[in-house]
Amino acid sequence: MSQTPPKDPNSKYDLSKIGARVDRVNVNGLLRTHNDYVLRAADGLFKADNFQDMMIEAMAAKSYLHELGIFKDVSVHIDISRGADATPQGYEITLKGNEYSRIMGSAGTEIGQNEGSLRTELTIPNVLGRGESISLQGSYSSTRANDLQLKFWKPFFHTRFRENRPEMSFSVFRQTDRYDISSFQTTNLGYLVDLSAHTMLGVDLTHSLQYENSIRDVSLLNKSVPIAIRDHCGPKLASLLRYSVIFDNRDSNVFPTKGVLLKSVNEYCGLGGNISYTSSTAHGEVNVPLFAGLVAQFCGRVGVMKETKKTTILPINNLFYCGGPLTLRGFKYGGAGPVVDGTPIGAQTFWCTGAHLWTPLPFAGVFKGLASHFRMHFFYNMGNSNSFNTDNMRSAYGMGIAVKLAERARIELNYCVPVRRQNTDKVLNGFQFGIGYEFV
Amino acid sequence: MQTSQYLNQMHTADKLSEEPWPEDATLYQPFEAEQILLPENASCLAVKAYLKMCNLPFGIRSCANAEHMSPGGRMTKLPFIRAGAFIFAEFEPIVNFVEQKDMAIGSFLDEDAKSDMRTYVSLVENIFTMAELYISFKNERVYKEVTAPRNGIVFPWPLSMMQNYSKRNNALRLLKVYQWNDLDIDDVIEKVSKCCETLEYKLRESPDTPFFYGEMPCELDAIAFGHLFSILTTRLPNMALAQTVQKFKHLVSFCRFIDEKYFQTRCLQD
Repeated sequence: MSQTPPKDPNSKYDLSKIGARVDRVNVNGLLRTHNDYVLRAADGLFKADNFQDMMIEAMAAKSYLHELGIFKDVSVHIDISRGADATPQGYEITLKGNEYSRIMGSAGTEIGQNEGSLRTELTIPNVLGRGESISLQGSYSSTRANDLQLKFWKPFFHTRFRENRPEMSFSVFRQTDRYDISSFQTTNLGYLVDLSAHTMLGVDLTHSLQYENSIRDVSLLNKSVPIAIRDHCGPKLASLLRYSVIFDNRDSNVFPTKGVLLKSVNEYCGLGGNISYTSSTAHGEVNVPLFAGLVAQFCGRVGVMKETKKTTILPINNLFYCGGPLTLRGFKYGGAGPVVDGTPIGAQTFWCTGAHLWTPLPFAGVFKGLASHFRMHFFYNMGNSNSFNTDNMRSAYGMGIAVKLAERARIELNYCVPVRRQNTDKVLNGFQFGIGYEFV
Repeated sequence: MQTSQYLNQMHTADKLSEEPWPEDATLYQPFEAEQILLPENASCLAVKAYLKMCNLPFGIRSCANAEHMSPGGRMTKLPFIRAGAFIFAEFEPIVNFVEQKDMAIGSFLDEDAKSDMRTYVSLVENIFTMAELYISFKNERVYKEVTAPRNGIVFPWPLSMMQNYSKRNNALRLLKVYQWNDLDIDDVIEKVSKCCETLEYKLRESPDTPFFYGEMPCELDAIAFGHLFSILTTRLPNMALAQTVQKFKHLVSFCRFIDEKYFQTRCLQD
């Protein structure tokens, strides 16, 4: 065990002063991959003119090769160049990769919005030699039943748009969503084409443009269902464009201490098929660091769904459900919205906001590593369905404890006290459990 | 768990007999002009005839997805009625529901006659529904020219194709369950004409009265009318069923009489 002392900028080995020139770059281990796919790994290396730059560029090349999605692991070897055309300060860099096996399988758990599920995946990476992959994914959860997805994707990181990280994917899916609170479920069967890319014009944005064509079959979960919900039964064909854009400069996905997340998803449905609507949702999150590890967080979400000229009936499975641990704590899932004959039904518009004060656990210093997975929070939620004024809004406050799960998801256990409610609402005064990755 | 279920059923039965027939009772069916198929049309007509015979008011709502909205049933799943909070599909459950309300026809019959009549009802329902399904889905010409275009009309392509496929599969499965799948058309015609013979014989037991059981209508009149009238008036590329029924003059004039009395469509030619 040894520790390297921190680098002193004035140490006698100032690597940036040592001249270096990269003569040759080798990429080894390309069995199924085409040569042109990894060509750009060398781009930065040839620009280096001192030893330090060369080291940094070599590391960048290594991580670039990782991103290409063809290698299990990559190692870098630097040697002085030999041979007839070697220059005096010439180096030869060899990137040795170990390609993925033909078929990879994995099984694990996955966190969805307010549900956990068991997932198995079978991937055939790098099918055609330029990072193209095929995966078959199946998941089973208590709330959603069986989902199946066959996906083909192709990254274009090797083209001159490398910085934009363009990626194309095509997937065929079958997915069941249960809306227990409204006693119906939908089975979607269809395909999806997705184009995604980054832009860096001033701000760093992630764009994704999708076209989805699917059959959505609404069926009922029990016998006594109001006729307003029964009206929606039967299969329908949806053909829609979806555009989403994300801005995210937070320092962490789950417990950020500073930064902003803005996300917007817009759908236009009605390019053929017999479902038509437009729908937009926006989600925002602002984190402000205070003193002593305290973080103030403000979240908001708005959703609006509108008829188009062709709409005959708005699809029930695209309506918004307000209430539940991910939106309005202190209410049951979907319990803060309109009802028909006593059964909650989604709303055409909704908004909700949340103000949080996040604190580390008391005595966090004692547990160190473990404690970084936990936070305590005090929250105040406000929101409403089908109305944008605050006169008869719903609100709740409370406190709870949250756990980080795999840098992506969060589990919360809160004690909630609903403050303002409407007569038809289903409230939950007391402990509420929530799991998901996008909270308000 | 079990006990509470029975209690629930008892409670429902209690409520059924207490509540009067709601004014806004609605019968749901597919679109008559463009969509409805022969077996569905027959069962819808039978229920409508029954409710009219009982003199119960009801509205009719045509919707494209009526079959999917239905809570389900033994054969066509159609029609279904909504009466207050209750929803029932197909002829028999609807009749049972109405009978809880003391407004039902057929109460003039004694127990023996009633069970006799029930036998005829289920005979008529089974034989005719199967024959209608057979001609609609197993006869290639009828399927291609009438059944498939009509069933698919409410769906955009390619959903229409998939719906036709699954509808035909279900129909063929049902035919298989009732062991009609390997009959040929002559066997079907024979079965239908046997059933018609039985009905005509029953009708002629009381030659001076218009209905099967004397002066008053009962369920048998409703369901026999529903099926016979639909078969007689539906134009198909293969009219074998209609021609078979046509041979029984008493039944044809019975249909004409019921139509005149309750519906006045007068589309049955002499």
